[in-house]
Amino acid sequence: MSRLRGLVATAATGLLASVQGHAQDSAVDGPSSDVPTTNIDAALLFYHENGRVQAIEPDLDLTQQIGDNSILSMGFTVDSVSGPTPLGAVPSDLPQNYIRPYRIIPTGTQVTVTTASGGSVVKLIPPASGATTQTLSATSTVPPNTYPLDPTFADRRIAGHVGWEQALTSTFKIDSTVSYSKEHDYRSESVDVNLSKDFNSHNTTLSGGINYESDLSFPIGGTPTPYTQMSGVWKGPDATRSETDAVLGLTQVMTRRWITSLSYSYSRSNGYENDPYKIISVVDPVSGEPISQLYENRPDFRRTQSIFLDNKVHLDHDIVDLSLRGYEDDWGVKSVTAELRYRYQLSPSYYLEPDLRYYRQGAADFFHYYLVGGAALPQYASADTRLAAFQARTYGLKFGVVMGDGSELSIRVEYYGQYGNGFPSYAIGQLRQQNLFPDLTAATVLLGYSYAF
Amino acid sequence: MRRMSKACWPSRRTELVLLLACGSLLGGCASIGPKPWQHDLMAQPAMSVSAYPLQTAIDDHIYFSKEASSGGRSFAGGGCGCN
Repeated sequence: MSRLRGLVATAATGLLASVQGHAQDSAVDGPSSDVPTTNIDAALLFYHENGRVQAIEPDLDLTQQIGDNSILSMGFTVDSVSGPTPLGAVPSDLPQNYIRPYRIIPTGTQVTVTTASGGSVVKLIPPASGATTQTLSATSTVPPNTYPLDPTFADRRIAGHVGWEQALTSTFKIDSTVSYSKEHDYRSESVDVNLSKDFNSHNTTLSGGINYESDLSFPIGGTPTPYTQMSGVWKGPDATRSETDAVLGLTQVMTRRWITSLSYSYSRSNGYENDPYKIISVVDPVSGEPISQLYENRPDFRRTQSIFLDNKVHLDHDIVDLSLRGYEDDWGVKSVTAELRYRYQLSPSYYLEPDLRYYRQGAADFFHYYLVGGAALPQYASADTRLAAFQARTYGLKFGVVMGDGSELSIRVEYYGQYGNGFPSYAIGQLRQQNLFPDLTAATVLLGYSYAF
Repeated sequence: MRRMSKACWPSRRTELVLLLACGSLLGGCASIGPKPWQHDLMAQPAMSVSAYPLQTAIDDHIYFSKEASSGGRSFAGGGCGCN
């Protein structure tokens, strides 16, 4: 008898759930009085790298159901990032000086030579004959046997998006989002359109979307010409970049407990793909001492594709989430990512969620720790270690409280480590004693709050 | 030269096979999945494929800034990532 009651209860809950809607359901069914129509999602991120960049980022997302068939969404983000960041240059057993332009001032302006942020020194570059402006530059000295970092890096990003989702039938919907992101040296604008169609009693969802992005880069100090010598002189004009992305997805509820989602993504971008602040050292072929520092030179075209598979299994109380991603691009980068989350439901209100992420990438074809003096320059080259071969691991733990009024509070701490080969066997001279890829480790604390009403 | 020579993209034949495989997969989906009254567990917010979209977006932006790969789950998102 109790089993029969259980079956009836399960069936009743399931029927109610199928009306209320899941990720695959449509709003055309109409909101009932007890279904939330407004969602607030807020987060505050603290990010701290060992001896390098740190960041604080508040985020706010809102969604509002409009009528029976539409949802308006919007979001806003601000982040402040500062701290030393790698220049791309190799360390040396001798002191090294670096210079970068950071401000243009009218000729004749009184300048007090002083210490700028991060311990660098401001320097006035003599104006060209007849010029009405001149450049202030920051110089910094890297001590011997020290990995070269740029101490002057600081940035603030403001980003926002507005979206609209429209259910056209009970199984078919369309949504579009316009996004904007602005940093003090970069601007990004994008628009996407997505369609999704449910089949098979909402157990199957087929989705597709396209995104177009237009970027403008206006680096502090101007846009350097690739392969030119690093200097304190103001560089070239702003640079543009555009990107088109497409995603195809299939989500399938496999059983009462198991949902799986498979997606394929493709993107192609054109334009300025360099990091304008990154340089690459040219070293002496015998001693390994840097003899010059050139601005990096990446291709102006990139195509990427990836396959992403996500599986979630409900174990009556706990939930296991395993996702896998394979990625490759025509820069020669190939990577695999695996992420595992286990939501341990301590009680109806509390949960603990440990997570593990493993990431491994191969190097871009044009990645070099350094170039060798006397040899012809390759067509492209970058010493940005984000394009090197490395492994990364993330360990995290989240604690969440689900409150009865539709709100949820959470705190998550994570540790991220990135490990490459800092002592390649082919290193020359003094470079054999240097670590060309110091470990990058970072700790994050993420506070989350959501409220549905 | 705008394209690196090492690119390995699906050939037309591979694309056709993938298309047929997807079609078969979709056809096969019609016979799997729970009945509507068995959606009780799937209706829980935590079982949604994008259960915590804001936290996912934050994570994706961090990894986008520190690694060469991006996207997969959704669109990669904008920004310089110059740090």
